[in-house]
Amino acid sequence: MRVIDQGPASVETILSSLGINPLEVIVVRNGTLIPESTVVFADDEVRVIRISHGG
Amino acid sequence: MGRKKGLAGIPVCSCCNEPAVVYQRNSRRSLCGTHFTSDVEGRVFLAMEKNQMIRAGDRIAVALSGGKDSTALLLLLSRHLPKWEDVSLVAITVDEGIRGYRDETIRAAERVAAHAGVEHSIISFRDLFSDNLDTLLEGREEQACTVCGILRNKALTQGAKNSGSTKIATGHNLDDEAQSVLMNVLRGDLPRLVRNSALETSGCFLPRIKPLAEISEKEVASYLFVNGMFLDLPECPYTRYALRADVRSMLSGLEHRNPGTMLRLVESKKKIEKYLGGAPVSAPLRRCRQCDDPCSGNLCQVCMLRQSLGR
Repeated sequence: MRVIDQGPASVETILSSLGINPLEVIVVRNGTLIPESTVVFADDEVRVIRISHGG
Repeated sequence: MGRKKGLAGIPVCSCCNEPAVVYQRNSRRSLCGTHFTSDVEGRVFLAMEKNQMIRAGDRIAVALSGGKDSTALLLLLSRHLPKWEDVSLVAITVDEGIRGYRDETIRAAERVAAHAGVEHSIISFRDLFSDNLDTLLEGREEQACTVCGILRNKALTQGAKNSGSTKIATGHNLDDEAQSVLMNVLRGDLPRLVRNSALETSGCFLPRIKPLAEISEKEVASYLFVNGMFLDLPECPYTRYALRADVRSMLSGLEHRNPGTMLRLVESKKKIEKYLGGAPVSAPLRRCRQCDDPCSGNLCQVCMLRQSLGR
């Protein structure tokens, strides 16, 4: 788990700041899949799941 | 382009105003779980109809590794099976014998097949080739994907034949297809570049169909998540040795910066096929001297590989 001290920001902005290509992950907030344009807030817990290859 | 935002900063579905779960860059639409599922399934079945992938009387062997793509494929085909007259499904899992990876995905495959109510059989490298992949690769790990690809193809075909199947369905998605095009170009492999395993007419091979070939890898993962079937499974430990890993990363970056790159690559392969107009680009089919399987030389790839491995 990584804590990012950031105010409201889109998931896309956060992924970009972490150097993550949004096409290689899915993003979940409180168990729900969310699009990258979703704005998340300082107290949100966001899970970034890397899409594994194969299968 | 501005997108409508609903509660809690989530965009709303372009079709129904429910919270969106995905944004599709090609159609510029945000979609909720219900409309996204319907969109993916609609595109898959349109592609299947357009390319006449399934016909009455077919028995389809679904290559089920237990990973995301084959899970989505089996789920989708089993859900819509009643649409086709006199068509049956069987799931085939190949157990290569990869420590720390395959056991978990086999358990996932068993659960998916049971959930879908589809007959399931497992065929192993140990049964077919007397050894598992880990043992076969000792000291030659960098050849893992080549060795595994050849043997897995043989195992899958054998499993499909054992089950009386008429076709093999694989979970290749748009990303896989675009990567294959680029890899074949990088290798200068024209015969493989223009090969279309769905148009098998020699009667020597089981035709292969790829119903998910127009769905991106991210869409496949999202489809599974929305439908409660997403599992965060381990990745094959040999992936790091593969050219595909480099190509995958490069193409993914290009697609992000230049949307449509993967689709254009796949379309370019189709154009090359069309320009060739069926002209032969590889040697005519012969029979392997050792096992009588169809091949282009004196020995098939499996027998050549077994010789080189000293088996």
